[in-house]
Amino acid sequence: MGLEGRGGEAERSGVVPGAPTFLTTRLDYVINWARRSSLWPMPFGTACCAIEMMASAASKYDLARFGMERMSFSPRQADLLICAGRVTYKMAPVLRRIWDQMPQPKWAISMGACASSGGVFDVYSMVQGIDTIIPVDVYVPGCPPRPEGLIYGILMVHEKIKRESITNPELRKKLRFEDESIVARPNKPADVIEEIAQPFGNSTKQNRVSGLVSTRPRSRPADRKP
Amino acid sequence: MVDVSDTAMPSVEGGTVVAALRARFGDAILHHEVQAGDEHVVFILASRNVEILRWLKEDPDHRYDLLQDITGVDYGGGRPIQVVYQLWSITHRRSLRVKAELPLDALEIDSATTIWAAANWLEREAYDMFGVHFVGHPDLRRILMPDNYAEGHPLRKDFPLRGRFSRAEQTRRALDFSLEDFYTPADLELAGLRPHADALNPPAEGKDAGAAAAGDGEAADGAPDGASR
Repeated sequence: MGLEGRGGEAERSGVVPGAPTFLTTRLDYVINWARRSSLWPMPFGTACCAIEMMASAASKYDLARFGMERMSFSPRQADLLICAGRVTYKMAPVLRRIWDQMPQPKWAISMGACASSGGVFDVYSMVQGIDTIIPVDVYVPGCPPRPEGLIYGILMVHEKIKRESITNPELRKKLRFEDESIVARPNKPADVIEEIAQPFGNSTKQNRVSGLVSTRPRSRPADRKP
Repeated sequence: MVDVSDTAMPSVEGGTVVAALRARFGDAILHHEVQAGDEHVVFILASRNVEILRWLKEDPDHRYDLLQDITGVDYGGGRPIQVVYQLWSITHRRSLRVKAELPLDALEIDSATTIWAAANWLEREAYDMFGVHFVGHPDLRRILMPDNYAEGHPLRKDFPLRGRFSRAEQTRRALDFSLEDFYTPADLELAGLRPHADALNPPAEGKDAGAAAAGDGEAADGAPDGASR
């Protein structure tokens, strides 16, 4: 049902004499509301996408609107990893380690073409999509994406958080790997990595890899309804 | 002050370097090209590179005191790999490119680290990318690729664009790292990721000198205290 007691001019204006001073809601709703309203991003900026990420955090686009003004440069105090830029194989263990250090619950955004699929860097030294290294919740396309794109990706993470439930461990498992045996291991089996690392492989398979059904542009406004 | 006549005609001055090299080293100067108008390229005998480079740096008429770059060039097709020294004379404001050719089955050349300290990392890069061994280099390790990289030397023409291993294997190897592949023991000790050497090996009588030399504060402090009591 969502947060009750939002309606009414009197309540919006503040406490009204005689009005109830409590409200009833669902535990899941409150928890999800709190989690999504103050995501602390862990910026993993390795290239030009990081410039757009900084622009998103600056005054014009103002990530503070979403409770995200605190860029957490410490993985242990962060719950949203934004991987902005290309990742080399030499950097891959660093990314994996930072992800492993972040406490649950945590989410990841792969920002830009290089982080999502290797981009134009289909060469010996580049990770072909960070979803071979860590589980990714939202892929933001673009080279680099505009701040609007990143903010839209963040709102998609919000939608994902809204669908979670603390009483449903299966959903939790599905949304985020919590298996300790995969710490510091590749995120996908070898044959899946081979498949998505083929030229153009990742760009056509990301929806499947992320566990989300395809979101066509036409259906997107509906995604945002509370 | 530099005489203006020194800098006015770089191509002529570059030509005098080549003439001086020929006069001094004779057969060790193989041939000489002029590229892009006034860029002098001198091909030298690889076995005498240190001798020639040291003379170029130290001779007062030339003083190529700035080593701008050391790199390799692989033209493919089994042709020899070139080691390129790009020199610049701060004194005379002149540049010179020195090349030495190495056959693919004997990729060894003497290190220039004794002449320019800057050669250290540049030679590591040339080793990493082309597999050229610099004899006498103090610390010839990979510098760009991970230390446990086993696919070869990426800038060689026979190196496949996407590497030799499959992507899954590359991912597995990248994550299956040990910290020792990336950091020196001293770095790990600083980061607290590895116990101090003293904790691993409790100092025996004979090791006190070694511990003090390693700069360990407690060991160094402890010895004078004991002596004063």
